[in-house]
Formats: sequence, structure tokens, C-alpha cells
Amino acid sequence: MHRVEHVMGFPVSLRVDDEDVPEQAADAVFAWLREVDARFSPYRPDSEVCRYDRGELQRHELSDDLVEVLDLCEHYRRATGGAFDARLPGRGLDPNAVVKGWSVQRAADLLRAAGARRFVLNAGGDVVAAGGPWRVGVRHPEHADKLCTVLELTDGAVATSARYERGDHIVDGRTGRPATGLLSLTVVASSLTEADSVATAAFAMGAEGIGWAASLPGCEVFAVDAGGQVLRTEGFPVAREDPAPG
Amino acid sequence: MKRAVPVVVLSIAGLVPVWRYEPSAGAPASTAAPATAPSASASSGTSSGASPGTVVKGTTIPTDKGPVQVQVTFDGDRITAVRMLQQPNHPQTTAAVPKLVAETLKAQSADIDTVSGATITSDAYKESLQAAIDVRG
Repeated sequence: MHRVEHVMGFPVSLRVDDEDVPEQAADAVFAWLREVDARFSPYRPDSEVCRYDRGELQRHELSDDLVEVLDLCEHYRRATGGAFDARLPGRGLDPNAVVKGWSVQRAADLLRAAGARRFVLNAGGDVVAAGGPWRVGVRHPEHADKLCTVLELTDGAVATSARYERGDHIVDGRTGRPATGLLSLTVVASSLTEADSVATAAFAMGAEGIGWAASLPGCEVFAVDAGGQVLRTEGFPVAREDPAPG
Repeated sequence: MKRAVPVVVLSIAGLVPVWRYEPSAGAPASTAAPATAPSASASSGTSSGASPGTVVKGTTIPTDKGPVQVQVTFDGDRITAVRMLQQPNHPQTTAAVPKLVAETLKAQSADIDTVSGATITSDAYKESLQAAIDVRG
């Protein structure tokens, strides 16, 4: 099964190799992601996030899901000394950086619960893979049609933060200015909730975010700094040069 | 072989030692490049030329939990060992310091199953490597 749909403004590609998994499992994945968009989008005035931000909902009235997301945002704000912040001055509450990884990981969990064992789910460049080995390329920060590395993943998640596509869209909450210390930073972790949050938070920190992310247990890091130098953790699962046939 | 001169910048952020090195090709190994701390807050730097097998001791950095000093061993561009010479009696700082490998940025093409990258918009998708993979099915 191979499906592509556009949700939350980005493409979501799903490949499931298990023959016995029904199409409805994929339907459930896309339905969940559309639900997340409706509930958590900072661009939809009727979303739970916007209603909370306007004071129409009190903290005790929030869904368990939003409480979990806001707790994650707070965790990473503290862990990065404020570089990562879902509440930037002059802007509304925007937990998107956490919502994306968290919701796509939840989608992968739905697939597993439906019996999928070998699949790869790619949501706008964030990847959850199961039952590999899978070969995951990391887009080169300066050449859209090239890769800067290829990693091999059996079960796990990969997320990349970079400046290329949307320009300087990640803001360092400590300065209020776009984060420019790195060109690209990729994190491999067991869940996309962690990989995506850590990649975004480390990118916001700049060069020191490389060491910060590398020091987190279970996180492997591949970073390209502003000077075009690659720094990666020793355990980053770089694929062999020549893939085995098949 | 091109000799690189790593510059070690040790900065204390949340008591986690962080380093980066900036190879300046062609500079003699004995010349120490000026250190530049990535941010002004609570950072301190030291620099030293390094050749294969070189041991670089960071300066002792006072933190509110006590003094911290890190020793980094290089083999060429590669960090081979990181050791805490001094650390406050605090469990957070006794955690293993991660080893980082430095490499040159390469642009490659390869047979892959999927592509990770910063959030790609639906508009940009048509031109993307992932779209090519999806079409192939």
C-alpha cells in the first residue's frame, strides 16, 4: 500500500508493505492527522489551541492531548534555556513544533495497532519507520535534489530542522531572532515525538544545540553548521555505501 | 593530508559541556586561533592547535555548581575521547559526554526509501525527491 495525502499544509507519504493490513488503517492515519489540524492549528480560530490562547478555555478544561503537548513544550523550553518557546513575544500560542512529531508518532502507533509491521510514514520530511532496514536520505541543505547523508533505520524516527525551505522560520526564543547558527540538524530517536522536538529545539539553540542534542540519551545527531562543517555523533546510523540487493 | 586546526570552544549551558571546532586549513598547527564563544552568556573559551593524537585541555570554567574542566583528545579532525578533568559533585555532570565526529559536507545521490528534511510544503512537494519516490511506488 502506498498513499500520499496533503494534511496541515504538507505532504504525508505512507508505505505499508504488509499485505494483510487493510486500506482502512491508512484512512485512520489520515483522519487522525486531519483531526489534529482542526484541534491544534494556531491558524484556525476555532481550534482548541486558539480558544485557549484567547482565554475562552481554562487550563482544566483542556483535552488530555493538548495538556500533553503543552507539557512537552514547557519541558523543551526549560531544557533549552528558553531557545525553544511555543509562546514567542508578540505572537499567539504556537505548539506546532511539538504537535507535528507527536501527532505523526501517534499515527504510526495506530498503524501498529492495526497490525502493520513493516511501514514507513513520512510527514513533510519527518519519518517514522518500522520493520526495516529502511534507507533514509537526509536532504542536502544547499541542494534540494541531493542528499548529505543516508542512514539505515530498522525501527525508529528521524526528524530534520533546517533553514532552506521556509527561510529563517525557527526563532531563538532567547533573542527573538531567527536561529542562524546551523544549516541543518537531524535527530534519530526511538519516537518522532522526541526526534522532532529535539531537532527543532537544538536548531533554535544554534551551534551549541549540537552538543545539547547529542547529550540526550537515545538521540543520535547529524548537524551541518553555518560554515558547512558536518558534526555527527559516533552512533549516528550511517548506511553502508552499497545497499544489499533487494 | 590536509591538516586541520580544531578550535575548541567549551561553553557551559545547563552544565552540559558543548564544543565545536572550526578547521582553518593551511594554518600552522602551532598557531592558536582566537576562540569565539557561540553566545556571550555563561560561556568561556579556549583554543589550541591540534595534530593527530593531540590532547586539548579546556579552561576551568566556574559554574554555580562548581568548576568544570573538559579534556578533548583529537585524532586529526576526529574527537577520540572526551574526559571530565574537574566536575562539580552533581549527578547531571557525570553523565557521559557525547563524542562528535567531524566530516566534510558531501552532496550525494543514492538509492533510498524515503527522505528526511525540514518541513516540506505541499507546494514544494512536486519538485521533491520524496515525490519521485512516491511516484515510483
